[in-house]
This record gives sequence, C-alpha cells and structure tokens, in this order.
Amino acid sequence: MFRKVLIANRGEIAVRVIRTLREMDIATVAVFSDADRTSLHVRMADEAEWVGSSPSSESYLRIDRIIDTARKHGAEAIHPGYGFLSENADFATACEAAGIVFIGPSAESIRSMGSKTAARQMAIAAGAPVVPGAHQPLSEPAEARSFARQFGYPLLLKAVAGGGGKGMRRVDSDAEIESAFRDAASEAERSFKNPDLYVEKLIERPRHIEIQLMGDRYGHMVHFGERECSIQRRHQKVMEECPSPLVAARPGMREAMGEAAIRVARSAGYYNAGTVEFLVDADGHFYFLEMNTRLQVEHPITELATGYDLVRLQLEVAAGEKLDINQDDVAWRGSAIECRIYAEDPYNNFFPSPGKITRLTRPLGPGVRLDGCVYDGWTVPIDYDPLLAKLAIWSETRERAVARMLRCLREYDVAGIHTNITFFRQILEDEEFRRGNLHTRFVDEFLDRRRPFAPPPDLETVAALVAAANSTANAARTANAPPPRSRWLDTGRSESLR
Amino acid sequence: MKASLEINGRTCEIDLDHSAAQIAAVEPGVYSVLFDGRSYEARIEQSNGLTVVLIDGHRFEVEIHDPRRWSRQTGPRGAQGRLHVSAPMPGKIVRLLVAEGDTVTAGQGLLVVEAMKMQNEMKAPKDGRVVSLAAREGATVAAGDVLAAIE
Repeated sequence: MFRKVLIANRGEIAVRVIRTLREMDIATVAVFSDADRTSLHVRMADEAEWVGSSPSSESYLRIDRIIDTARKHGAEAIHPGYGFLSENADFATACEAAGIVFIGPSAESIRSMGSKTAARQMAIAAGAPVVPGAHQPLSEPAEARSFARQFGYPLLLKAVAGGGGKGMRRVDSDAEIESAFRDAASEAERSFKNPDLYVEKLIERPRHIEIQLMGDRYGHMVHFGERECSIQRRHQKVMEECPSPLVAARPGMREAMGEAAIRVARSAGYYNAGTVEFLVDADGHFYFLEMNTRLQVEHPITELATGYDLVRLQLEVAAGEKLDINQDDVAWRGSAIECRIYAEDPYNNFFPSPGKITRLTRPLGPGVRLDGCVYDGWTVPIDYDPLLAKLAIWSETRERAVARMLRCLREYDVAGIHTNITFFRQILEDEEFRRGNLHTRFVDEFLDRRRPFAPPPDLETVAALVAAANSTANAARTANAPPPRSRWLDTGRSESLR
Repeated sequence: MKASLEINGRTCEIDLDHSAAQIAAVEPGVYSVLFDGRSYEARIEQSNGLTVVLIDGHRFEVEIHDPRRWSRQTGPRGAQGRLHVSAPMPGKIVRLLVAEGDTVTAGQGLLVVEAMKMQNEMKAPKDGRVVSLAAREGATVAAGDVLAAIE
C-alpha cells in the first residue's frame, strides 16, 4: 500500500479522502489556491502546498504544478476526487509518465468514455440498451416517420451540430413531422450553420438512475447497486437515494442494470471506481446515458447502504491489489438519502450566497453522516462550486429515512449565509416525493406547486419577544462597556518600551 | 413596557412586561425560549441593520421602533427618485448591457455579474435613464457596491 498520497482537490471531497487515508495510516498531502489557505482540507492534511491563485485554471487544474508538488513531497499516488482533473485523460497520462499512480481508471478508459458518441457506440456493442435513435443525418422527413413506426411517438428531432436546446423539436404524431422538421432544420441552420437533423425517441419524465461499479486491474468487477438522482435543479443533482424507489419495487431490475453497466465498463477495459448513468422510463425500461470515470459526489449513500468504504477500495485497487469482493458479497440494507447543502438562496432563484459562516450547528445522532468542509468562522470563497456539505442519513426503511433526514435538517443551522436547508425540508414533506414519484423535472414542477414555507402563528410572537430581548441585552452591553481607553495610556506604554 | 416593532413588513405592538415567556441566552446569538409550555430555539442574525430571528428554519425580519432612540431613518426612495442597483454578493462584472445615458425599462438587464461559476443579470428596478454606471467589465465588486443608478 502507498505510504503517502496527494489529494488534487479541495472542499468536502478532499476532506472525505483524507479521512480514509488517515484510517489507513497513509500520509496526506493537500494542495491549495490563494482562496483556500485556511480551508479545512489544508488544516486536516499532514502536508500542504500552495499551487496557485484562486481561479481553478491557475491552481487545481494546473497539471504541471500538481505533479511537481507530488514529486517534491514524495507522494506515490494522486487521488483526483471529482471535478477538476478527475476525468482528464492527459492528467492520468502525466501521472503515469512521472511514475505516480493515478487513483482511477486508465487514461484510455477516460478518453473512450469522455466522448458521448464513442461511449454510446461502445454501449451498443456491449449489448446495453441505449435510447433508440438514428444518429446519422436524416435526408427527409419521411425517414423520421418510419423511425416513429418502429419506436413510436413522442420523438425528438435534434440538430446534429446542436446543443442548448437549439434546433430541437418534439413530435407527437405523423401530422406534425413536416413542420417540425422544417422549423428545426432552419433553426439549426441559423444557430449552427448546419441544418442536419437526427431523430431520437423521447423518454418522457425520465428518472436518472446510476450504477456504482468497482473493478480491479485483473478483470474482476462488481456493482454496488443503484442510486436514484432524479431530484435536480439546473440539471445538477441535489438529492440522491439508495435504493431507488422504482428499482426497489421491481424484482430483478437492480441485477439487470448492474449486469448491463458491467458489460459496458468491461468493454472499455475499465478498472477502479466508475458509475454508469441510465435514463429510466416510468415502465422501468433503462437506457445507457454515459459513464462517469471517477468517484461520484453522491457515493456516501452507497457506502451507507452496503457498508463498504469506496475510497478504501479505490486505493487498494490502485495499489495493485485484487478486489476481494464477489457480487454475492454485496448486500443492501435499509435506505439512505443524501442532501447536498449549498450556499445558495432557494427563495431567490437559488442565487449563490458566499460569505462568512458566523455560526454553525451540525445535525448529530443515530444514522447521520456529514461530509463537509465548513467550520464556524470560515468564509465560503466565491471562486468555486458553493457545496458546503453532504448530509447523508441511513434508516431501516425509506419512510424512516425521510423522517430522519427531516429531523437532521431541523437540527442543522448555518448562519451568516443562505443555504438550501429549508428547501429540502419542503421537498421531503411533498406528497409526490413521499410516494416515490420522481423524475428529472421533479424540482421544476415542485417549485410551481409548493406552498410558501409559512410559520405557525405562535412563532411570530416568539420572534418578536426574542428580538426585543436581544435589543435590550445589546443596549445593556453597550451601557456597561468600559469607557474608551485613554490615548495617554497607549502613548505612555509605547514610550516606556523605547 | 410596550414595544412597537415591524415584523416581516407588518407593524405590531408587544407588551414586554406581561409576557409569560422565559428567554435565556444559551450561546452567542442563540436564545432558548419557554413560552406557553413549549420550548423554542431562536437564532439571531443582523442583516442590513435589521434583526433577523430564525426559529425552526423560519425567518423573521424584525425592526424595533424604540421611542427613546428615535432616529429619522430614510426608507428606500420611491420610484420617482433615483434608485441604485448594488451588487448582492461579491463577484466579477463580466458584461455591461447598457451605457450611461441609456433609457431603460423596469426589468431590463443592465449588466452581468459572475460569482461562483454562475452568471447573474442585474436588472433595472424601474423605468428611467442610466445616470451613472460605476461598473467596469472585468472589475471585481464587493457585496453592496453600487453598480448603477437609474433616475
């Protein structure tokens, strides 16, 4: 096993990796930018080195400086966390060239999974289901009609050169095809100077469900089941759970998804931790979306439900050890939920809210896990993703897990900045959420139907009494404060020191 | 003693002497309140001169009108006067959408501020003319910095 590992990341994930390294008695090297000198990962690590100014392009993305730091400190391996350089094939190559182990898959695997079209081809070749579609340009609307006869409506016409929803049209019937084709093609021509379109089946209100994998360098690979990540705002996951309420209700679905994920990963010669993402329709049909070639943000819920430490497994596999787990060893118990606590204002369009944390009370008690990077007095920097902590809980059933998460969110207090804590409380109280009716548009629809977070009437009286008491106490403090120091005293002191 | 206060924008009066509440300061900025047989935990924050009381995730902005410390505060000026647009948080100006002297309508984008990888458009609070534009593209701004004035 390694004796010293560098963590090429910051924030909660750097802290989380340091924790496992410490349990394994491996020395830790942190890197930091100007903005992060006093951040928790620097405080916790055994060694730390500055790697540049605050913009991540000048620090956490500087392959040269991070490799130099690893060399200087004698780190034998680098854990990239998630984001930053974690899915950068050039970084994996640079590590290898420097004789440092990259804790992740091979540069080749990262590269082949990094291209969506190449990954889709690989999934098809491996026999994994993909969203039905013809990714060659259509020459005329009639081709879309014959596609619809095979796969049914609704379907989606998309610009070959597209992105951002431009040149995209939903089609619900034969009659709509001509005009939709014309509109989409002319919009694509205007936006991308390329009118070519392709056709894809539209999965309505899809769920986002992913499979956690771990493989060693000798071809052995197991899956750790699914995570449902359908609760998203601005296309970013904010709340995840394991098991997925849909998968839990369908015998055999977890095994089928797990096997499909392993087939795709194997065909890329994959090793270390990885996640295969699927879109899932209301009937439980799942379609390969993409593969993330790193540890995921939401990995703690898998750890809570299965009992494994995925970072420890990553380190063992990276050190060349065999993965000593068979598929039959992996068992799931109870229900785990994670909420990503962000510095943002849910009542003001999720506007980021950086600033100084003036007071912090953390949830504690049975079944609670908190992966964070926040401390009382820390200033949340403006330069990075405003994720403060991941609150993950476990309980025997989904219903009890929801109750436990609500309990924890009520205990959680972060003062000085806005957070999305009350937003999660509202979602957890929502009937649709409780029934497990999740899909990727859930948050948008929830925002339209949510009732205001209205206080019970007695709270207003209590608030008024407290404000009055606080103002009286402040007045008393000011009155009792010692008189300002005499300037003569200071002068006398400094004179006597001459 | 009676106190007059404004809570979330509504004025109310509260009798402090006859209140049955027991209020204990337990941690800095944290009060434990026993009231009518129930236990509450209240947290205090100061924000823009207002006292914010947080109880169980609910937020109350309270302004206390103390007749003994009467200060003539000028509220935000009406839509007739000059209105300032200030930065809600520290960030960087990435784009100016108007120039000084431009006529704008309420809700029109004035400039784009980037913070924490997110771009946010600052909008005109009212119809009028941009009488001053303190912001420059690429400049870093602190929370509260006045970026533009509309008259």
